[in-house]
Amino acid sequence: MKIVVEHLRHAYPNGYCALQDVNLTFEGSQPVALIGQNGAGKTTLAKHLNGILRPTSGRILIDGVDVATAQTAQWARKVGYIFQNPDDQLFLDSVRKEFEFGPHQLGVSDEEIEHRTTRIAELVGLEKKLDSHPFDLSPTEKKFCAIGSVLMMNTGALVFDEPTCGQDKIGNDRLAAIISRLKDQGKLCIAISHDMKFVTRNFPRVVLMRKGQVLLAGSREEVFARQEILQKAYVAPPPITRVAQEVGMAKPVFTVEAFTEVIRQAGQKGKERG
Amino acid sequence: MRKAIEVKDFSFRYRNASSSTLKRISFAVDKGSFFCIIGANGAGKSTLCNALVGLIPHYFVGRSKGLVQIEGVDVAKTTIAELSKTIGLVFQNPFNQLSYTAGTVAEELAFGLGNYGVPREVMHEKVLQVARLMHVEELLDKNPLDLSGGQVQRVAFGSAFIMEPSILVLDECTAQLDPLGSEEIFNIVKDLNSSGVTVVMVDHDMERVAQYADQVMVMRKGKVAALGTPREVFTNPRTPDWGIDVPDYVKLGRGLQSAGFDLDELPIDESHAVQTVRGLL
Repeated sequence: MKIVVEHLRHAYPNGYCALQDVNLTFEGSQPVALIGQNGAGKTTLAKHLNGILRPTSGRILIDGVDVATAQTAQWARKVGYIFQNPDDQLFLDSVRKEFEFGPHQLGVSDEEIEHRTTRIAELVGLEKKLDSHPFDLSPTEKKFCAIGSVLMMNTGALVFDEPTCGQDKIGNDRLAAIISRLKDQGKLCIAISHDMKFVTRNFPRVVLMRKGQVLLAGSREEVFARQEILQKAYVAPPPITRVAQEVGMAKPVFTVEAFTEVIRQAGQKGKERG
Repeated sequence: MRKAIEVKDFSFRYRNASSSTLKRISFAVDKGSFFCIIGANGAGKSTLCNALVGLIPHYFVGRSKGLVQIEGVDVAKTTIAELSKTIGLVFQNPFNQLSYTAGTVAEELAFGLGNYGVPREVMHEKVLQVARLMHVEELLDKNPLDLSGGQVQRVAFGSAFIMEPSILVLDECTAQLDPLGSEEIFNIVKDLNSSGVTVVMVDHDMERVAQYADQVMVMRKGKVAALGTPREVFTNPRTPDWGIDVPDYVKLGRGLQSAGFDLDELPIDESHAVQTVRGLL
């Protein structure tokens, strides 16, 4: 899957210009995080990736085809979009029906739908809740129901808008497992997130936005090395990275293991010199 | 009387629920302290918040046992209106906080004061003051239902704060805000706390909890699993059993220890972690 964004500009009907000349390429299966303050244009950009929003000017190419050439329903087969608020997405009276709706619209066979339902319900942790009404689910379960119903479409790419909002440790661990599974299946995951711990743990690629523009796009190491630009965009690195920067480590560090290794090496160098 | 909140052996079961959401909860919150409640989703944190402000038993139907006292007053024996002079709640979902009768943000902010018959001029002045503090002064004439999630959260916070309660209960009140927005709100909360307001906060951000809390209470399956200072709670080896993540600083300390480094104590916040690591270099 390859999504190319070329000179994308988007102005809302009230005249507010949410995106100005955005150029990006999303390719392969390395998960990508979109980060930046509220109002930076992350959701507006994400909603262009499967045609929910259309460019004011510029274009989006999905596997080489201009999004403008087909209706949003067609692109929903290629790129799944999981809304920030599950209430914006869920509308049926059981989890099972939510799961079946998308693939049914695409003409997937009943047998295949049943097979997918079992597999995905287990992945999102709702195997015992398939016959529950979405309104009876906890907020976390609702979020996973929304994720599951989009995974059911078996699209090549998935866009998650703030998947961690309100999740506890168990929810975040499950989300990480889902993203890792999708990556192993060769699918492209793109997520909007404010949670830098979650971002640096699960997303090797990062796009930093501010005021409708892309400030940085690259590996998490490249992006988190640019401290001044991050500061300008009001993004604070995650705790371990901050400590590493405070004590003067040259490269960004994201894990306890990497951090410990740097300290160990520094200690050895110290001994050699001493 | 030194306690802002005293909860004794309190249990609650929602009507039609198959089991109790809160099971024999006991704890006390000192006046002027910063008290954090943590735990996995479904542990009973929001239900407990509802019990503190009187929504249980006066609004939510169910069976309760035990005692909840707010500044010495038995919650069950007073009214929500009376309690709201002392204790304010900022809901997890800010849309639950809206009155749905106010046509503008200004009216929404003034709603609580209006119910107490505060004079118009005073009300006007207070609305402006709170709107400035919460950065919503440009939204005063807008309809609350036309705002973004983050904006509603600021208005919701403002409408609780405008009542000047001596105890403020915050139920994941920054979930809809970006990091800068949450930071701003926390600075306000910290200022309120320094000026003597008791703060009870439910939060999933463990680094923040470690930084701000005087006391941390861990809830699990409707019960109190642990209660103590952030250091006592987060360095307890049993934390993984409670479904909570310890702050990354504690993990870093443990990682360094298992790599053979000798630490005096585990760091629980950023400055302490930086100091600890500098000591090793």
